[in-house]
Amino acid sequence: MSTQLDVSGVVEARKSREETLATTAGAGRQAWVPATLLAVLVALPAVQVFDGFNYVLHLGLYALMYIAMSSSWNILGGYTGYISLGHNVFFCIGGYFSGMILAYTGISTLITAPFAGLVASLVGFGIGFITLRMRGPTFIISSIALLMVARILFDNWNFVGGANGVTLPQLTIDVQWAKIPYYYAMLFIAAAAVYCSFRIKHSKFGLHLRAISQDEVKAESAGINTRFYKMLAFAISAFFVGMAGAVWGEYITYIRPSIFLIILIAANMVLMSILGGKGTVAGPIVGTVLLIAFNEFFVATLGSSEINIFATGLVMIVALLYFPNGIVGTLAQKKKLPRFLDWD
Amino acid sequence: MAKLLEVEDVVAGYGRGPDILTGTTLSVEAGHVQCIIGPNGAGKSTLMKAIAGLLPLRSGAIRFNGERIDGMRPDQILRKGICFVPQERALFGKMTVRENLRMGGFILDDPRALGQRIDAVLEAFPILGERATQRAGTLSGGQQQMLAMARTLIVEPEIVMLDEPSLGLAPQIVEQMYDIVHMLREKGMTVLLVEQNAAVGLANADRGSVLDLGKTLFEGPASEILSDPRIQELYLGKPSQVA
Amino acid sequence: MADIVQVIILGLALGGVYALMASGLTLVFGVMRIVNLAHPIMIIAGAFVSYWLFTLYGLDPIVSMPIAAIVMFCVGIIVYKLIFEREAASAKYSEMTVLLTFAVAMCFDGLLGTAFSNTQRITSPFYATDAIFLGDVFIPTGQLYAGIASLTVIAALVAFLQFTRFGYAIRATTQNRDAAQLMGVNVGLVSIITFGIGVGLAGAAGALVSFVFSFFPAKHWEWIAILMSLVVLGGMGKLAGAIIGALILATLAAFVSTYIGTTWSTMTFFLALFVILLVRPQGLFGDPLEES
Repeated sequence: MSTQLDVSGVVEARKSREETLATTAGAGRQAWVPATLLAVLVALPAVQVFDGFNYVLHLGLYALMYIAMSSSWNILGGYTGYISLGHNVFFCIGGYFSGMILAYTGISTLITAPFAGLVASLVGFGIGFITLRMRGPTFIISSIALLMVARILFDNWNFVGGANGVTLPQLTIDVQWAKIPYYYAMLFIAAAAVYCSFRIKHSKFGLHLRAISQDEVKAESAGINTRFYKMLAFAISAFFVGMAGAVWGEYITYIRPSIFLIILIAANMVLMSILGGKGTVAGPIVGTVLLIAFNEFFVATLGSSEINIFATGLVMIVALLYFPNGIVGTLAQKKKLPRFLDWD
Repeated sequence: MAKLLEVEDVVAGYGRGPDILTGTTLSVEAGHVQCIIGPNGAGKSTLMKAIAGLLPLRSGAIRFNGERIDGMRPDQILRKGICFVPQERALFGKMTVRENLRMGGFILDDPRALGQRIDAVLEAFPILGERATQRAGTLSGGQQQMLAMARTLIVEPEIVMLDEPSLGLAPQIVEQMYDIVHMLREKGMTVLLVEQNAAVGLANADRGSVLDLGKTLFEGPASEILSDPRIQELYLGKPSQVA
Repeated sequence: MADIVQVIILGLALGGVYALMASGLTLVFGVMRIVNLAHPIMIIAGAFVSYWLFTLYGLDPIVSMPIAAIVMFCVGIIVYKLIFEREAASAKYSEMTVLLTFAVAMCFDGLLGTAFSNTQRITSPFYATDAIFLGDVFIPTGQLYAGIASLTVIAALVAFLQFTRFGYAIRATTQNRDAAQLMGVNVGLVSIITFGIGVGLAGAAGALVSFVFSFFPAKHWEWIAILMSLVVLGGMGKLAGAIIGALILATLAAFVSTYIGTTWSTMTFFLALFVILLVRPQGLFGDPLEES
């Protein structure tokens, strides 16, 4: 009736089991991939020598802007685990700050963009002071409320033109070259955002952020000043979004609440990060490229912006259900991530 | 003697995590109090959750009265006659004691019979009877455990599974809990319990099983396990006389 | 004095409608811990059902309220089956479901926008622009009827939850999902039906919304924050809390609208949301919010 009892084996078996439970980590990374990508992007405007590639440049600029924004969002949403669905508020703040300076003094946003980023950061730090007391779903709801509040404020703020916004002066250069300065500005912002994201991920600060996202109470009892780190993450993630907003405003030559403060922009940031892999460095880039390619295809075949909202929602559902860790995250989990995407 | 409950080579774990049960085999005979002992992380609670249908099996089989019950939902397993009182006692803190008993009889279709059984239980446990309209969340730990165990009487299942009924209770309260265990057996129910305090659990049981590393290492009469020096050394915290 | 009474009456009448709009949201959160950001777009979908029944067949929106509710109940069941059922075991359940409901909201927003375009619509039954005068104050009949209909539906819901066996199962699942399961409640079934009921309530509210407010698909983003403020004020998952929260905030908004300006009346809800989340995140009647 009774099974045999091997006492001596038990202790060793327990030890060896614990060892197999501990996962092994460690992988090398290759610097040449991002370097090559950057070189190609730097060289891209050269095609404009032949003219007629304005749309390519526009698409490149648009993608770079979203790479900057989703990488930036990822610092708060991916590393720290605070999902913001109202992050375009900082896009708006950046756009309006530099846009108004341009409208009144004529100083280009290309010069004032860093300051726009700083203003967005400061506002982010302050908003974070309030909203980061909440966690999980409550924080998400508060971020939507923030967006709504900002929309009402900007719609009714006469100094910045209310709902009609302000038209901005255009650069007086030939159409053939007109996009190039903005393109390089966005390239710079995107590269800086990705580099910053990479450095954070590999710093002690990034480690603290990940601890917060895993279990905030434990992180705090481990002596991490969670409050300050969260606010700092919020401020940094507002910085690049604000800069992108500044350049975008001048690029499209007007600022208006309905350009910056629509939920689709916030949704795009979130979706791009999730699709590519939130919490990874390369994820937001992969997600941005995929989603923009998908949108281009959709608009080209079906047109209509409402269908586009539907499609974005649908992609988001599929991504959340089937790749909850995103493309980079899921591949990494299955240990099938190609080395050129392993930037972490 | 016919086996009431048979667990065969069960492998199970949480989410995408590792296997906690690594081929557990266990059998429970009708009319006995059977106690499962083992160290932390041996898979004792996991085994009970798997039997109750709260955790899907990765492989293996669980039979109750010869019928496969693995893969069934917890509510279906309860209707078959297996009642599970988990460690956290599964009470509805904002419902009254009476309402909790009523929830205990959720699967009964006859409201009048349910009412009678609730009254019978409140009578059998005066401590609960006095507090029938009090919210369960305001009871003491011992009273909560008593309510959770008394609640199983409403449906009169064939097997009652108790996960650490003595957890966090004072020694004399623990004795009261085991009085209830014996009462359940006298009413013809089979009791399967998990006990961290192996000596106490085995002393109150007819049969015992030793679980470690997700496998059953030993199964036999409780007294035999209690007196086995190897088990004393490994699981009862007594120094081996050989060493 | 009459002014103040007037404002309170207007606020309460609207509050009644808000209460129904929020009831499904709080019910679904209570039972399933899903913060359903798609709830407001479901209200708009329900409004479209009543709108078209009125426009095409002349059916009164209050009469068509059950139809809108049943249609949206079915939509809710389908959405739950397709999307949320499989998430029940997910580790990051609450975060995942918020994002999923957000995505569902986008899908329905896009679909409704494509089908009916984002133009303002309103159903206009004969009573929508009438008013009853009581001395110095008046009650707009449309809002009065809507408020009464709304409170009737809520009363029926409360009776269902309090006195039926399935209602008992829903309440038990709200309190302790695992325990309910061990008591023999089929929580999977409870979840799907509750989600259906929640969306069905959105449909019923939509029928009333169709003649109380003008609506268009993209309007639901604004309502997300408005409804959240009501639900959070009362305590998430608390039905009674949501109703009281709706009455309080709607009255407050009516005062803001009268004395400060209509533009700022919606701001009342958003600011209230921030203040509540900061000062008392569990709301007036709630227990501390669980995080996972």
